[in-house]
Amino acid sequence: MITLTKYLKIVLNFKIILFAILSILIISFLPLFNSCKQPSNPDRIVIWHQMRVDERLILEKQIRKYMNIHQGISVEAIYKETEELRSGFIIATIAGQGPDLIYGPSDQIGPFQVMNIIKPLEKIFDSTYISMFNPKGLTWFKGSLYQIADKLGNHLMLVYNKSLLQKPPQTDIELIEVGKKLTVDKDNDGKIDQYGLVWNYTEPFFFIPFMTGFGGWVMDENGNPTLDNREVIEGLKFIRDLRDLHKIIPREADYNIADALFKDGKSAMIINGDWSWAGYQKAGVDVGVSPLPRITSTGLWCSPMISPKGYSININVSNDKINKVVDLLKFLLSEENQLETALELNTMPTLNILYEHPSIINNEILRNSKLQIEHGRMMPVDPELRAIWDAMRPNYQAVLGGAKSPEQAAKDMQILAIRKINEMNE
Amino acid sequence: MNRFYKNILIFTFTAPAFLILIGVVFYPFIYNLVISFSNMNLRHITDWKLIGFQQYIKVFTEPTQPGFYGIFIKTIIWTFVNVFFHVVIGVFLALLLNQKIAGKSVYRTLLILPWAIPQYIVALTWRGMFNYEYGSINLIITKYLNLPAIEWLKNPTEAFLACILTNVWLGFPFMMIVALGALQSIPDELYEAANIDGASWYQKLKNITLPLIRPVMIPAITLGVVWTFNNLNIIWLVSNGGEPSDSTHILVSFVYKAAFNLYRYGYAAALSMVIFVILLFFSLIFMKKSRATEAAY
Repeated sequence: MITLTKYLKIVLNFKIILFAILSILIISFLPLFNSCKQPSNPDRIVIWHQMRVDERLILEKQIRKYMNIHQGISVEAIYKETEELRSGFIIATIAGQGPDLIYGPSDQIGPFQVMNIIKPLEKIFDSTYISMFNPKGLTWFKGSLYQIADKLGNHLMLVYNKSLLQKPPQTDIELIEVGKKLTVDKDNDGKIDQYGLVWNYTEPFFFIPFMTGFGGWVMDENGNPTLDNREVIEGLKFIRDLRDLHKIIPREADYNIADALFKDGKSAMIINGDWSWAGYQKAGVDVGVSPLPRITSTGLWCSPMISPKGYSININVSNDKINKVVDLLKFLLSEENQLETALELNTMPTLNILYEHPSIINNEILRNSKLQIEHGRMMPVDPELRAIWDAMRPNYQAVLGGAKSPEQAAKDMQILAIRKINEMNE
Repeated sequence: MNRFYKNILIFTFTAPAFLILIGVVFYPFIYNLVISFSNMNLRHITDWKLIGFQQYIKVFTEPTQPGFYGIFIKTIIWTFVNVFFHVVIGVFLALLLNQKIAGKSVYRTLLILPWAIPQYIVALTWRGMFNYEYGSINLIITKYLNLPAIEWLKNPTEAFLACILTNVWLGFPFMMIVALGALQSIPDELYEAANIDGASWYQKLKNITLPLIRPVMIPAITLGVVWTFNNLNIIWLVSNGGEPSDSTHILVSFVYKAAFNLYRYGYAAALSMVIFVILLFFSLIFMKKSRATEAAY
């Protein structure tokens, strides 16, 4: 039988020992938790980006060059898929952490600004430096500059296979004519072996040029969706007719299928962005790029969305580190590095001085790309665009799938967009 | 208490694991629970406040497109069909591999392959195979079966079926391996005794094989249900985020979209708690009804 004294002794001993062990364990684990927090090392700069492999290789080369010049500074570039980049950055910055620089398209600026997780840049860079850039490469939102781009565009163009087509169409009528000629059943088995045109039917981003060609746009100046109107309906009817009436595009195509068809010479033209052109050249396709055609009935060019891709600075970058981050950013945005990127990837640089550079002027792809950028419309950075894409996507797919009429789809897009915006802003 | 005192060494050894569990399981769970009662979203990411059960009410009543109940039914179908075929195909193949056949290890390796390939690759490969004009599935259907091509990815039912087919292919090896392990642990003496009694193949399957693999298969099925119910990858990648027209969503892909496309963190947290409760109750009831924890012998 255990006595009360013995019992207390055991309990007290137990508690003391347990407390001691737990304390030791917690203390030994503290560095682990602390390492999760990643205390800001002023000599280590982290960049999160969503660059493709070819872009990434150039970035890594430029980073190595920077580190050779600046001994003692360590720069780490971490790739994340676009959605993961955004959500990861939001979560990390809210927790007071995250990379020093985030690289991506300008449409992420809206949500980041609303959440107050990136720094206004006009307070960090002087106006002389900012004025060196093409205004389209500077993303201002709610009166502040939040992103400086190194690439301008991210825009769609008409890419054509020169071995199948010498002169690209300039109007919608020419597009249909040429498309019919180039859509062929070579072995007469009832199946089309080569299409005139392909593009990605699943993303409404690819529908924008047709919408703008008929005079439509995604939102008004207050961020309200403008999807249920004649212009959008006409745009939807046009692409439906390309498939069902003129039969110059496949019944079904997502990005990968469209890309593969063009690379394999099974399509004479593709609507694709500046990110893809270098890949087509590497795949051995003799490519030409041309501005998207003009719609004859409206006289308007099919205008793709133009979006700069660039860097923003994390709100959590401390004052003792900001100068080093700015120095790196200026290096990455420098004339030498932008020129290297532009020529290797066929993307438009953002420094004004480079537009006069002979290598840019004499590059046919970049010359046409510049023309398309002039025809294009800047992508809004309002967070509401997210909801608008989300509302457009199922209805755009429904029209191409034959499940909805263009009129019904336009109406449903508008209703859904308003509801999703309300849900986002609730 | 004396016994408890003596076990202090055990507590010491388990404490690090417990601390890690606090960090990676309990804390995120509690945090998720808290924000499910909050208005955290794009506009209130840092200044969120508790708003009671409003997000839960929205989960069940908000007229989303597709609605909660439609997605829930689809999730049940998705889970049931997938797990059913995983188990049936897995056990069937395990029974075959448990026989004395030549080249068993080669077959076994080949059959495990779907499990060894990253889901991302599998999903995108299958998506390509389901293409209307160029996909191998339609080429087989039209060329060898003389049937009309199917618009797999354009119609809601076919797109959902495409996701199921992909996941069935991906999931049976797990059940096969588990069943094979269980089969190999059954003593031969039981079959020998049954042979002496003149039992048929079916009687041996019914009275020896299935009862003896049950204690292993029930937890595997429970795991399979939880994994399949929460399998975001296949639905998201094969149907390209719920295409066509957001009609192939299951609950977990719907949560993902709410949280990361529309920044509705409070709503998504509430919906994920609902999913958690559904799975918790399923697991408890299923384990109890199937007497999974009882010994087989």
